[in-house]
Amino acid sequence: MGTEASTERKQVSIRGAHLRLGESPALIGSRCPGCGEHFYPPRHVCLNCYQEGLDEVALSTRGDLRSFTIARMGLPGTAMTPPYVIAQVWLPEGVAVATVLTDVDPEAVSIGMPLELVVEKLSTDSEGNDVMTFKFRPVREG
Amino acid sequence: MGERVVILGVGLHPFGRHPDKSIGELARVAALAALKDAGVEFKDIEAGFCGHVVQGVGAGLRTFGEVGMTGIPITNVELACASSSRAAMLAADAIVGGLYDLAMVIGIEKMQRGLLSGVGGAEGGYQSRMGIALMPALYALMAQRHMHLYGTKHEHFAQASVKAHRNGVLNPNAQYQKAITLEDILNSRMIAEPITLYECSPTTDGASAVVLASEKRARQYTKDPVFMDTWAGGTPKYVRGEADFLEGPNEMLARKVYEEAGFGPEDVDVAQVHDAFSPGEVFLVEELGFCPHGEGGPFVYEGNTEIGGRIPVNTDGGLLSRGHPIGATGGAMITELTLQLRGQAGQRQVSGAKTALMHNAGIGGVNVIAFKR
Repeated sequence: MGTEASTERKQVSIRGAHLRLGESPALIGSRCPGCGEHFYPPRHVCLNCYQEGLDEVALSTRGDLRSFTIARMGLPGTAMTPPYVIAQVWLPEGVAVATVLTDVDPEAVSIGMPLELVVEKLSTDSEGNDVMTFKFRPVREG
Repeated sequence: MGERVVILGVGLHPFGRHPDKSIGELARVAALAALKDAGVEFKDIEAGFCGHVVQGVGAGLRTFGEVGMTGIPITNVELACASSSRAAMLAADAIVGGLYDLAMVIGIEKMQRGLLSGVGGAEGGYQSRMGIALMPALYALMAQRHMHLYGTKHEHFAQASVKAHRNGVLNPNAQYQKAITLEDILNSRMIAEPITLYECSPTTDGASAVVLASEKRARQYTKDPVFMDTWAGGTPKYVRGEADFLEGPNEMLARKVYEEAGFGPEDVDVAQVHDAFSPGEVFLVEELGFCPHGEGGPFVYEGNTEIGGRIPVNTDGGLLSRGHPIGATGGAMITELTLQLRGQAGQRQVSGAKTALMHNAGIGGVNVIAFKR
């Protein structure tokens, strides 16, 4: 007992993304019980009414493209290979999320297009776990 | 109202690549030039403020120490790309408050080559790993949105860089003193659409220095002073239901400064704006009120911000051509506007300039300053 468990590959969320993995993946944000404002990433104090102790909530997994750019040059230390589409997604809760688009032709991207959250493996960590991240992709019709 | 503040002396170390020079050496050249320009000696300076970002602990003493050790208080000021303009504002606040009659700012930076990864620092988390926290990408997201909302064209942004480089040719302290064409810019390497390599400010080594004085003290040295008239600093403000990458409330700060200075955007003779990437100038001519919202693209493209145009912007080449040693940039902006208002800007001179406006932005804050002669 124990040796098998120690070699088991686990899925872990990329640091800082507040990503819930599993059956129904979602970004975790905050909702203010006082004024109803939502935030991502989660925070302790409401920026709208200054209430402390916000509720943790799963955010919508669909949103609209607010703006985007096609990155043609990479940065050292990142897990991305150019070209890739950097996007700002606007969720119905009134929250903007910075992300990368996947399953998309960069030339066919347009502001306002409906998008949905997907979870993808980004890399493997030093313990052999799969590091999972979130991206958005165009919503498929039907 | 307290004392009025005068920009008594300005100086630069030429901007460029200076791998073999220490920050002390760069700072010494700028500081001695500013002291000479002011006509004062370092022993008369009562306080020092050093704007820098990544020069390490004690950079203020290391740089000021090159020109003297008189026991004065020296304060290090970090506000990313707006560090030395904030340093000047703190010096000016102290003069207005009657603490000092003579204070000095040194802005300094030596930088690594390559792209700056902007947001989040060491805590960047997923944004750093996923290649999102990329300075040109942040400007590109705003640029794409501007293109979508207003029909702005890539050429409109690129023209700001054509103009910047043309002005840089006229500035012996500029990192780039070479004109480039619109075609050169559009054909240079794409970084983050629509921003190409020649639409990105370079990394730079350089230093700036500014001597500030109370009006009563300044009158001992000059009959015709340039005043640092009004200034306002701010940080991004949370507005319900709005998302933005702006580094601060540019428009609100400009309005505040215009109101206190007693003039409006139509009265500004020459301006410096934060063109870290070419779209910056297009956004800022709108936010500072030089043209209506959405019209910044054509406004810049049609030459309104050229020397000789309606409102000359970044006459020294701006961040794009003069260079952008982040901690030194604010002081360089003050230097250019002071020279312009004195009529000492040589081939770059805007004839008869009497009022000037400056905008300097850093991650974490914005400074807007009005100058008058």
